[in-house]
Parts: sequence; C-alpha cells; structure tokens
Amino acid sequence: MTNELIGSDNPLTTEQRDVLAIVLDLIVPASTDGRRPSAADVDVLGHIRATESGTLDNLGAELDRLDAEARERHGEGFASLDREMRRALVDDIRAAEPSFMRNLAIQTVTCYYQDDRVLEAIGLEARPPFPKGYEVPSGDLTLLDPVRKRGRVWREA
Amino acid sequence: MADDIVDVLIVGAGASGAAVAWSLADTRMRIVCLEQGGWMNPAEYPSTGRDWETRAAKEMHPSPNVRKRPTDYPINDDESPIAIVNFNGVGGSTILYSAHFPRFHPSDFRVKTLDGVADDWPIDYFTLEPFFAENDNNIGVSGLTGDPAIPRHQPPLPHIPMGRMGETMGRGFNQLGWHWWPSDSAIITRPHNGRDKCLNLGPCNTGCAQGAKSSADISYWPMAERAGVELRTHCRVREITVDDRDMATGVTYFDADGVEHHQRAEVVIVACNGVGTPRLLLNSTSARFPDGLANRSGLVGRNLMLHPWGLVVGHFDEPLKSNFGPQGCCILSQEFYETDTDRGFVRGYNMQITRGGPPVGTARAGIAQGTIPWGEGHHDAFDALFGHSIHLGICCEDLPEEHNRVTLDPELTDTNGIPAPKITYTLSENSRRMLDHGSQKGAEAMAAAGAVKVQPVQSPLRMAGWHLLGTARMGTDPERSVVNEWGRSHDVRNLFLVDGSVFVTSGGVNPTTTIQAVALYIADAMKRNLANLFD
Repeated sequence: MTNELIGSDNPLTTEQRDVLAIVLDLIVPASTDGRRPSAADVDVLGHIRATESGTLDNLGAELDRLDAEARERHGEGFASLDREMRRALVDDIRAAEPSFMRNLAIQTVTCYYQDDRVLEAIGLEARPPFPKGYEVPSGDLTLLDPVRKRGRVWREA
Repeated sequence: MADDIVDVLIVGAGASGAAVAWSLADTRMRIVCLEQGGWMNPAEYPSTGRDWETRAAKEMHPSPNVRKRPTDYPINDDESPIAIVNFNGVGGSTILYSAHFPRFHPSDFRVKTLDGVADDWPIDYFTLEPFFAENDNNIGVSGLTGDPAIPRHQPPLPHIPMGRMGETMGRGFNQLGWHWWPSDSAIITRPHNGRDKCLNLGPCNTGCAQGAKSSADISYWPMAERAGVELRTHCRVREITVDDRDMATGVTYFDADGVEHHQRAEVVIVACNGVGTPRLLLNSTSARFPDGLANRSGLVGRNLMLHPWGLVVGHFDEPLKSNFGPQGCCILSQEFYETDTDRGFVRGYNMQITRGGPPVGTARAGIAQGTIPWGEGHHDAFDALFGHSIHLGICCEDLPEEHNRVTLDPELTDTNGIPAPKITYTLSENSRRMLDHGSQKGAEAMAAAGAVKVQPVQSPLRMAGWHLLGTARMGTDPERSVVNEWGRSHDVRNLFLVDGSVFVTSGGVNPTTTIQAVALYIADAMKRNLANLFD
C-alpha cells in the first residue's frame, strides 16, 4: 500500500490498513513475471473513498471482524498468520457471508484494471478511449458469399 | 411567454420527438418542444477520462433508479423480471443506446394474418420504407446493402468494422449454414452532416464523446433548431389539459426552478416512449377523462412489450481484440427471426453479436460469475477472457398481453411530486421457450465459431428493458386501440402519439429505427392532412 493511501485523513486504523492490504493481495496478487502489481499496491482505498461510500461505511468493522476471527481461531491477529491460514479464513468468511467480500472484490478489480501499470501489462495504452480511439479491421466480406448464395430469407407478408 | 399559444407542442426530445420536430418544421408552424432533461456535453462523457469505467457504472448507468440524475424520474419495476432502463435529456435514450439499427421485417406488421397471434398493424413495412430511408440519411446510418433477411435497402454509409471477432462468428454461422450480415448501425463511418466518423472508442452505451453515434441531440436537434423549432430544456410536464370539447388545450409543466407554467397549444404531440407516454396520459385526469387522457379504450399503459433478452458468451483461445469497436454493433443473424412452429413457439428472435467487455467490465463479470478466481489463478483467468470473448445477445419478440402494463405508483413520485410509473410484467411461456431456444442456438453458434468454452447467462437479463413498446397501440378500432393509423388519439383529435407506445407488436429487433420511421410517417400524415387535421 502506498504512503498516499495511509495519509492522516485515512478512515482506517493502522491495523485495519494492514489487514486490508493482506486481503487485497489475496484477491489479486502480483503476477509471477512481476509486470502486474498486487492489488495491495494500487489505491483501492482511495477508489472506495471516492466512489463507494456504502462500502467504506462497513470497511473498518468488517476488517476488525476478520482480525477478531483470526485471534479466536489461531490466537493471533490476521496479519500474523501465514498466507495459507489467511486464505482459509477469508474463504470461510466468503462462504458464510459472501456479500461484503464480494463487493470488496468488485471494487478492487474496478480500481485495479484502471491502473496504468495494469493496463500496460495487459497490452493497452494507459489512456482513455477518447480522443485517439482504436483501429478495428473492416473484415473480409467474401465470408458473406454463402449467405448471398442462399438468397432471400425474409418472409412475404 | 409561457401562456402564448403555439401551433405544435411536443413533449419529449428523444428519438421520436426530435424526428417529428424536424419533419414538421418545414410547415413554418410555431413548434415548441418541452424536455425534462438538459443538453449533454460530450466532452464530459466517461470515455474522455481515465476512470471511464467507474463513471460509466454510476453516472451513466442505464437505470434511472441507480443513476438518479435530477432530471430522471424513478420507476417502480419491482414487479417485473426485466428492469426498465432509459435516459432523460435532449436525445432521450439515444444518449445511451447501442445504435444497433436493424429494421422491422414486413412480417412484423402482419402477425395476426401470418401466425394467428396478437394483431396486425394498420400500416405495413412498405408504407414506412421511405421514412426508414429518410431517417437513415438524416442521422447517418452505416451498413452493407444486400442483406437477404430484409427487403433491399441502401444504408448511406459503409458498414461498421467487423474486426477479427465478427469474422470469427461469421465463419461459425457459415459452418451452420445460417444467415448473418454486418449490422445496420446508427454510427457514422464517414464524416456526415458536420460530424466526424467513428473512432471505435468502444463504450457507445455511455455516450459518444466523438459524436459519431447518431443520438438525437446531435443528429436531429441541430437541424430542427436551425429550422425554427424552439426546444425548452428542464421543463417537466405534469399533465395535458383538455377543454369540454375533448380537445387538448396545452400542458402544465414545471421549469428548472420548480415553478409551474401552462403552455397552450393547438396540437399536442407526446413522444415520451412506452413508459413515459402512458405515465403522462394516466396523470392527465379530468372530469371527461377520469381514467386518464385518451383512455376510453382502457388500453393506455396496457400491452407493454420489453424484448426479453438472452445472452451467450463464448471464450476463444485465439486473441480476437474483441474489446475494441462499437460495443453493441458488429454483425447479426436472423436465422431464427421468422416463425417456425416446429420450434415450439411463434415469432422469433434476432441474434446480435456484441463486443467483448473492457478491462473492468471483464474483471467484474468474471468475479461476479466465478469465472475469474481470487488469488494465483486470477491473471491467467483474466487473460483467457479479456479480448478473447464474444457476446451473443438474443432479442426476443415480445407479444402484447394486456396484463403487462404501466400504471401509476400510489406512493412513488419524481422530484416535482408527479406520480411515478409502476411496471407489472410477467414473462410469457412463448417468450420463455424462445429464450431457451436462443440460448441453445447461441451456444451452437459459439461452438461452430471455435469457442473453447460457452457460458450461458441466466435469462432474461434483468437490466435490459430498453425497448419500451405497445402501451398506447395504434389501430382503426377505437375500442381496441388508443391512436388511429396515423398516430392521432381516437378520443382527443388534436393529440398525437409518435413513439414506441403506438407499436402494435414488438418485432424481434432493436426498435429505434422503426420508432423514428413511424414518427416521420406520422409527421408526414399530419402535414398531408393539415387542412382537416381534426376532422
């Protein structure tokens, strides 16, 4: 997570931010070739703050709940667990109460796939569609020969 | 100003209102159009910014209940499996439409005669043919002459690029021996009437920043205003007023400040489409029309048709770059458009090939549907879908049923306190069978095209109620229709309806080209009958 993300006006505590970063990395980890960052390394919280007030309202409490569940099961906080234990815990919560985690994942990929590094890694230029647009080939119209040969198919009325 | 009498007052500046305004302008009558929304600024459309997918999903969301722009009105569609989607502003829903522009077929106007269902229209395809052509030229329609599924016509501009995606599906259709053709599209592929050509931005359905999509605000309205039509924005009509001779006297409306006005008129034209028009008529009650204006037949709001929509998604190994190009326009197949009772249903459907999703759209759909996992498999799964997917939409003809209807919600209102529409709609067994057939045939087409995985999506799609038809049908019998064969109310002789509400049946294609052809035909009939318009 970037310094910008955890500024003084951040609505989450340091512990909550740590838990969030781990969950984001579970949703979208960095690619093995290193070209695509982890979702923990893009400004998901900034995106949520700017666009998803409903998600933000619940975010701290849900992260606290995850941490509390870790302590109850394993006797230590979520951030102290190893990756497999974290994944298993999150999977259980996703199965039991999928709504929050599903929404968080949706918001995560919404932010992630508008990040410059990600767009370039998937073969796009990091720019909006307008004004440059894109090239699309017109297509081979000889493919229509069988359709023309079959002739009229509309129904006389 | 407001209580001066005008010759013609049009309510609604969308596809049909704009076309009628332009056509009537050559009469030199004083024409005023009232539109509840404002002008859109293409420079502010989402595709001009880096966060365009975030903005598209919010401020340009197709549902007014989600979008909640101040110019929108809410719609209670809780009692319908298909949500109502639209847009309110100059240009109406053409601001967000995909601009897929296939015409109705000749058979669509004769379903009673041909198939023994619903009713025939009082007009036919060939009556509308010159108005289809006029509309194509006015707004700029691209396509390829020679489609054997429709009477021969000549789109004025070259077809939209098919791309590798369109070629791939075309080969699949060929393997099955099925019809397919590049779609007529209301998108200009060459400069036209001062507008520049399409750049393949992609998200046509969030507003076209290039101005290549022929939405009514940038196609018809500049021509209509140059011809003298006055367009007043942010004017929301509450009701149409009538006198004791059953003649419309004008409308009562709220301006942007919420101040109420009355605008008198010799002729009132309603162009608010299949939900907005019955809403306005039902809100226009009086001693002589206690059940709503022009509603002595009891049919205002009934026979709502929505085009139940199916979707099949095919995934391909080869890179198709399917994320590029006009989102809703590529090719179509009308192999199953005409009736074949061996299929277990009457009438038919259009297959509309649309582009694959953009990055966020692909990822969100994949997460929601479970095709893109969390964790280590995420990137490979995304790569397998992004640019490798083709969407096949199934647009089913929806037959009219009186119980499918628009009424007024007893509690819900817009910001001016005007009662909002309530939708009551159930899917017919005929439509269910048609959707199932379309899903099966769509999967066959994908397999023939080489898809390595075919993913049916639960149908009907909920957020797909774009095509709002039939709620004030035309006909020659005043007891079985709301307007006559040229759009004039049977009950109120200076009231005309010109939008999708007058459709007798729905066809199985996107209706806007036919809506605009009908609007131009009605305007032409009005001009030809000016001397005795109210007889």
